[in-house]
Amino acid sequence: MSQKNSEEINEKLKELIIARIEANMSSNLKLSIGANGSMNKEQMIRHVADNDEIGRRIIQTHLNFMRAQATGQLTNALNEV
Amino acid sequence: MTLPQYEDVTEYLAVFSKPIIDECQKRNLKFRLLKKEKANRREFEFAPEYNFVVLNGHGSEDFITGHKDEKIIAKGENEKILFNRIVYARSCWAGAGLGKCYELKENKGCFIGYNIPFMFLIDVTWATNPSKDKIAKIFFDTSNSVAIGLIKGKTAKESNENSRKSMLKAIKKSIIKNDDNSRAIAEILWNNYSGQVLFGNMEAKI
Repeated sequence: MSQKNSEEINEKLKELIIARIEANMSSNLKLSIGANGSMNKEQMIRHVADNDEIGRRIIQTHLNFMRAQATGQLTNALNEV
Repeated sequence: MTLPQYEDVTEYLAVFSKPIIDECQKRNLKFRLLKKEKANRREFEFAPEYNFVVLNGHGSEDFITGHKDEKIIAKGENEKILFNRIVYARSCWAGAGLGKCYELKENKGCFIGYNIPFMFLIDVTWATNPSKDKIAKIFFDTSNSVAIGLIKGKTAKESNENSRKSMLKAIKKSIIKNDDNSRAIAEILWNNYSGQVLFGNMEAKI
């Protein structure tokens, strides 16, 4: 894959995660990630857009959940309880 | 149990650790709390021998902090004082580094922690009164069940599995409820579920 394509995918991924944060995080919620303190929806979006360490962790968390949904891992786990 | 309480995240950790304390009191177990400023390395290292340790605080693969980010336990410095004890660390990443030290065969203890950042959501409506925060409670109830299971006499393996099952039940409940907070709650619970790990002697009991 060319570097240009890879960069385009990364940008699309960030857009996807930002859209998910917009849709899933209500304005009354804050996310706490360890020593980074707690952050509201707008701060989460900023971190993702900046692709900093916290933003990459947020992206990873969303990807893990989407992967679990897509592979059936989440459904299988929920069926066990 | 360490209970640093100097900013919003540690405030929540301290407030929601109360059910663990209540369970100890209910069973007349001898325990020691290292609260606020006392959650420091000196107090921790000079604590009498307890076979079960709960660490609340910030962390990385190689250390767990107490009051104002002081490193209470650090790999290569003093992690050996935890060996042969049962440890539950509600701290980011500590399972990935400190926990792996428990893979030594001669170790009778165990380490339950997280190989990812432990995450939780808070409802800002209750930011000044966290104990009323029903959203945060979901994340702490499910993680508290590790320590409460051990206090009730279950093995490390049972306590870890029961805690992870309680996270799945909470995800299910949240998905069924399907309100404005449901998807965010499910996603963050899945993060903690995926990252909660047990190292060492799985049959360890208090």
